[in-house]
Amino acid sequence: MSSATWRNVFTYNKYAQIAARALRQSLKENERVAAEKRGVTILRYQQWENGQGGQQVYLNPPEETNPKKSAAV
Amino acid sequence: MLARRTLGRIAAQPPVLGAAPSGSRNMATLREIELRLKSVRNIEKITKSMKMIASTKLAKAQRAMQAGKQYGIANSEVFEHSPVEESGKRRLFLVISSDKGLCGGIHSSVSKAARRALADKDAPVESDTPVMVIGDKAKAQLARAAGKNIVMSFNQIGRDIPTFADAAGVADLIIKSGVKYDIVTIVYNQFVSALSYEATTMQVESESALKESPGFKAYEMEDDVTKDLAEFSLANAIYATLVESHACEQSARRNAMDNASKNATDMISKLQMQYNRGRQAAITNELVDIITGASAL
Repeated sequence: MSSATWRNVFTYNKYAQIAARALRQSLKENERVAAEKRGVTILRYQQWENGQGGQQVYLNPPEETNPKKSAAV
Repeated sequence: MLARRTLGRIAAQPPVLGAAPSGSRNMATLREIELRLKSVRNIEKITKSMKMIASTKLAKAQRAMQAGKQYGIANSEVFEHSPVEESGKRRLFLVISSDKGLCGGIHSSVSKAARRALADKDAPVESDTPVMVIGDKAKAQLARAAGKNIVMSFNQIGRDIPTFADAAGVADLIIKSGVKYDIVTIVYNQFVSALSYEATTMQVESESALKESPGFKAYEMEDDVTKDLAEFSLANAIYATLVESHACEQSARRNAMDNASKNATDMISKLQMQYNRGRQAAITNELVDIITGASAL
């Protein structure tokens, strides 16, 4: 196999996380639910300049969920 | 109930010269003591329940820590065989704490250790050594002490047991941030026992430091794989230290809430005694008033 070109795009950690996600999604239902918990991260980070914190950024932005329609109209 | 009727009768009587101030002071004191007693009882309930929650979380966190420590041990295997000379290396400090409080001295111990390391005379570090912080509490403390050095901060870790995804995310961001370093020094709390913890450091070498290290040549690895190894071992080390810090935090919170409940129980018994004494004094005063009044007739 030719030398992998993914190294130009992302780090080994990202590579491992993608492979792990693929593996988790391929498991049977019970095991998949248990494994999904191990892959959850709600990490947020912010860059600092000169003693001041910048904007807080989500690493994995939470999905926008539509508000459920209530029964009372 | 008896106290309240007693208080009512004292209030109904016309104030006698000299007796009214002491009477009203007693009434205010009794009311105050009653209020304090109620609030301390509530606090005791809260701290007791927090302690229960922390002990169940501690059991789970300790299991995760035992499993996660193996990652850190596997890491240090490579670094033991390829040590790095300390002098002249550019360091990056990564301080690990969490976002939540009420856990004793966890955050201050770790930020004190970081400040000591930054100001160390034996192994001097450059004044612009980059520092990255995980956790809002240590971020606040270090922003005051070493604000100019902070490059990046992370939060929302530690709500639940830290996952490897968290650690991989942090390692990725560190590498992508473009900060130049040779060694990463992770400052975290080491789990000594369920009652105590200690702030320690863990060193992780970067790709360039690994390549320059004499012992590493024996491994005969390609450059690509070395880069992968450096990135992966950083994520490993971060994971091991995150899980251990999390376990320390749960145990510290459990101990802190345990102490708080004990103190609250002591306060309750003391206040109860005071309240009973005050109540009985008020009753005695009233009886004396009645009897002197009766004997005057």
